[in-house]
Amino acid sequence: MAATKTLNQKKKMRNVNNTAYLMILPFVIVFLIFNVYPVLRTLQISFTNYKGYGDMDFAGISNYVRVFKDKYFWISLWNTIKIWVPNIILQLGLAFLLTIVFSDMKYRIKGLAVFRAVYYLPNIIASTSIAFLFQTLLDWRYGSINIALRQLGIVKGMPINWLGDAHIAPFVISVISAWQWFGNSFIMLMAGVQGINKDYFEAASIDGAGRWTTFAKITMPLLKPIMLYVSITSFIGGLQMFDMPFLMGTVNGNPYGSTQTMIMYLYKFGFATRPKQVGYASAIAYVIFFLILIVSVVQFKVMGQED
Amino acid sequence: MKMKKVMALVLAGMMTVSLAACGGKDTTPASDSSADNTNTETTTPADESNTGDDATADETPAAELSGNLTIWTLAVDLEDMGKKFAEENPGVTVDTTVIAPADYPTKVDAAIGGGDTSVDIIVGEPQMLQSMFEAGYFEDLNQAPYNAQDYADKIVDYVWEVGQDADGIQRAISYQITPAGFYYRRDIAQEVFGTDDPEEIGKLFADYDTIIETGKTLKEKGYRIFASDAETNYFSGDSAWVVDGKLNVSQSRYDYMDMVVALYQNDLTAYAAQWTAPWYQGMSGPVPILSADIMWGDWGENEEGVTNLNVWDAENFNANVGNYTDQEAEVFAYGLPAWGVLTMRDNVGETSGKWGVCSGPAYGFGGGTFIGISSLSENKELAWEFIKWATLNENTADWWIEFSQGDTVSLIPALEKHADDGNEIYGGQHLYSFWLEQAEGIDYSKVTQYDTAIGDAWGQACTAVKEGTKSKEEAVNEFYDSVAATYPDLIIER
Repeated sequence: MAATKTLNQKKKMRNVNNTAYLMILPFVIVFLIFNVYPVLRTLQISFTNYKGYGDMDFAGISNYVRVFKDKYFWISLWNTIKIWVPNIILQLGLAFLLTIVFSDMKYRIKGLAVFRAVYYLPNIIASTSIAFLFQTLLDWRYGSINIALRQLGIVKGMPINWLGDAHIAPFVISVISAWQWFGNSFIMLMAGVQGINKDYFEAASIDGAGRWTTFAKITMPLLKPIMLYVSITSFIGGLQMFDMPFLMGTVNGNPYGSTQTMIMYLYKFGFATRPKQVGYASAIAYVIFFLILIVSVVQFKVMGQED
Repeated sequence: MKMKKVMALVLAGMMTVSLAACGGKDTTPASDSSADNTNTETTTPADESNTGDDATADETPAAELSGNLTIWTLAVDLEDMGKKFAEENPGVTVDTTVIAPADYPTKVDAAIGGGDTSVDIIVGEPQMLQSMFEAGYFEDLNQAPYNAQDYADKIVDYVWEVGQDADGIQRAISYQITPAGFYYRRDIAQEVFGTDDPEEIGKLFADYDTIIETGKTLKEKGYRIFASDAETNYFSGDSAWVVDGKLNVSQSRYDYMDMVVALYQNDLTAYAAQWTAPWYQGMSGPVPILSADIMWGDWGENEEGVTNLNVWDAENFNANVGNYTDQEAEVFAYGLPAWGVLTMRDNVGETSGKWGVCSGPAYGFGGGTFIGISSLSENKELAWEFIKWATLNENTADWWIEFSQGDTVSLIPALEKHADDGNEIYGGQHLYSFWLEQAEGIDYSKVTQYDTAIGDAWGQACTAVKEGTKSKEEAVNEFYDSVAATYPDLIIER
């Protein structure tokens, strides 16, 4: 009797497990088709000279050797870093500053929801619209910003060539991207702050801790997990930067290739060059993948989160 | 725990890799912005009957045609043509999808490469056609029942050649020709050169050195020869970029570079970038210009007689111009293909009637929409009827000339018929005979599928030299490096 009961219980448990598998089946199918398959397919293509049509002739590791020898790929990596570093400093710096202000118990700023929505607005505007807006505002000859700067007497002589100067254009794109994304980082950081038990702040206040001490000793340490998340996602997003530099310039990263990011370089061979070089583009994708993987691991370790 | 983190990182990395996978034929593009740029329109038959006999192509009587035709195009023209075709053939419905040119090849790769049989008509521009032919997207039009070769003498030669694959098989035909010429202001020509005759003005653009001299003469009179220094692009080069698998940088490429640099550094243009608002503005009147010779300034000259103050030298400019101010000048000429007639029509404003068109330093052409049948179409007979109607039918050509208000068709009998038509925007000039003459000089063997990428790299080299960021030697070396990185299979001899 007892043995039968155990058998029934086991059967029931197995049924429950089967139901669970059934529930996750749609996700698994979609994941296999849209994530796993493209990833494996890319790996396969990266070892061929596939042009987007016709036969896939095996090319060994020649595409990978080409990536490592291709100085323009490494220039595009450097361009990505040049755009990403000021972008991340501005984006996270601004988000952090606003978090400090809005999380301060003494300021008790009202209308957080309104500010949050306003800061987030640039994030929901299409990148194409933002690019068009800034291209118009920043036009060398006829842009409102240069006209205003000259009328205010801040710029004399030749107008600033915001998008045509190889030294200025990457920084301009950094600023625009930071403006577009700081609201997103701010919301995540504020969510982290709001998750911290208020008792800690009250206790600190009673103990006479100042604004900076409260922030440094309570807010910062308890925000570390969310900061790690924000920095890792910003980092991955930064290395995958494509839309804004692409829309502000061309696939060649004008001026002088200074705004051509790694993903734009991948796009050039996968989509823009005739005949297409999909095999080479796939190899570039895998090199970027491993670069991101390596730096993310380092970032994990540096932030002391291994455990 | 560590394993979990590694997995998380691997999954995050997958996002990157997925992008490239989308280049494969079985997937759709990841960076798919074409939704914003894609417009689909369905045209149902009207009650009107066929309007006339076909003077050129053999045609099934229109009343017998029936079915639905699906067109994927990058030119809005085909939307209008689809409507007209449905109007003339009551049994036919036409679905036309207009896709932005930048997205078009990717869409076709994904659809036809992926086995989509629903599209009947596909198109291409010259620089994208060869790889589309190679991919097998276009039906062989030389085979029965099409027998396109029978119509070869009806279409302008270079257009016919562009529509052929590497084996000489006809796969696409265009309804238009796109030879390039200089559109110039007759009133300015009369004032500065004492004549506005296209033959005489053409001599002022006969070669690169003459263009510089013409620019200097115009500048002395307060005009600018071009709105931008890219106006001569359609006339650059006298040989193909790639010959027998080898990169070919002929002397004329260097001459072109020297001319672009001279135009820029001598302030001969209005510094308006092509296709921007001020560039269009120059068609209808004065545009603000930056000038080295600010009217009331005396900036001195160097040993070679060149003014010390030059707009491309920002440091020098800022150091000298305390009282910087904008000037205005009128633009003399634009270098555009035949479709520029339509661009000018929409932008000349008050200057309408004051324009003329003349030849440039070489025979060039730009763009053109070539129509073919998708090799996977299940509706090929109707698709062929549409192609014949759009490209080989004299009635259609007459209608299109009138409807488009000046587009230049490729059908020789129609061009001959309209040879004496005057265009009022151009002072009554007979443009169709002019364009036919220009088209007959075009050597299509100069065109290769590498042209866009190599041309862009050469353009970047020219920009670097003219703006002074690189010496000519450095810029040319950079050009060679760039081409070698993009096409490692090409033989490059520096």
